[in-house]
Amino acid sequence: MSSKAHSSNNIAHARRTVQQLRIEASIERIKISKASADLMNYCNEHARNDPLLIGIPASDNPFKDKKTCTIL
Amino acid sequence: MASEKAEMDSLKKECDGLRTQIEAARKAVNDGSMSSAAGSATDVGRVQLKLRKSLKGHLAKIYSMHWATDSRSMVSASQDGKLLVWDTFSGNKMVAVPLKSAWVMSVAFAPSGNLVASGGLDNMCTVYNIKSASPKTLRELDAHTGYLACCRFLSDTEILTASGDTTCCLWDLETGKQKIIFTNHIGDCMSLALSQDERTFVSGACDSLAKLWDLREGTCKQTFSGHTSDINAINFFPSGNAFITGSDDCSCKMYDLRSDQEVIGYQDTSLNAGVTSLALSNSGRLIFAGYDDFNCHIWDSMKGEKVGVLSGHDNRVSCTGVPGDGMGVCTGSWDSFLKLWN
Repeated sequence: MSSKAHSSNNIAHARRTVQQLRIEASIERIKISKASADLMNYCNEHARNDPLLIGIPASDNPFKDKKTCTIL
Repeated sequence: MASEKAEMDSLKKECDGLRTQIEAARKAVNDGSMSSAAGSATDVGRVQLKLRKSLKGHLAKIYSMHWATDSRSMVSASQDGKLLVWDTFSGNKMVAVPLKSAWVMSVAFAPSGNLVASGGLDNMCTVYNIKSASPKTLRELDAHTGYLACCRFLSDTEILTASGDTTCCLWDLETGKQKIIFTNHIGDCMSLALSQDERTFVSGACDSLAKLWDLREGTCKQTFSGHTSDINAINFFPSGNAFITGSDDCSCKMYDLRSDQEVIGYQDTSLNAGVTSLALSNSGRLIFAGYDDFNCHIWDSMKGEKVGVLSGHDNRVSCTGVPGDGMGVCTGSWDSFLKLWN
């Protein structure tokens, strides 16, 4: 590759990098304290719908091997 | 030549300026941490899940697994050259799909339950119809120039792939052609996760970065740094405002989209093994992370503490998944077994 083509590639790449960084720099950011509080609230609100957190009764457990009963 | 050098210098100066601006903006909103916000949260205590089933069937290392939307079927992929579709309630194998290439790295279930997709060192993503009398190859998606690390269906007509060629790609399954190519990573793309509204997705790569993409525009919207090695696993927090990554640097991290940075890290000096996979419980409170140390460690996502462990595999845990109804965790391992816990 000629040095001229090589440097044009580098310039094209640098232009794309600047373009990308402009996009990333332009967003609005919220405070971590607010973000964290929202995440905590979500966990708390949904805790009762989280079987792995609150436990699963044996009768409702789809993966537990059911033992057969014999009537004596 | 002189004018080109001048332009390069000016562009480089602008890049440096923008990077400094981004770091300053992140610092300006860094007014606290997740662990301090979680100080008042109730402890989850010790999380002790029991092994409910060990699924035997594969003859070699399992590399990937994915739950169906019915929370009952599950597909696994092994380098024995097979995909197996399991009924996890009975432990029975429902379908076996023989692969053209045994070097599979990823498998996915379509939301409809009609299709599964897999791929790996063949650089292709192959889609199979598993509802026909015997599994039928629907499409061979062949355009990546590197291995297929991860694939996820949006529907029966669209699939997203992440590749060792550093790109992610959205494919049209009706034509078998690429719709959008997502380029920006400078390392192998290892993992991806779709947002619930399917307007965005996040990717993790060997350049140690995670990126948020606009699915329809094809643009990278945000880049998240912090890891010091390959990111192998990535998943959205259920609210959609954050995502969690797992890395070869032996840590997991939670990044918040709206703060544009890491809000908490999950690491332990006693844990010296890379993270291969991760899944979240339905509330997002528990993170199940598979490690090279043969275990799946359980983290309290809010307090950043280890709260449990799933031990039982005899080799690396390579894949982890929680079904949509949140009723259990499935771990898959290089020991050729899948285990179900709850």
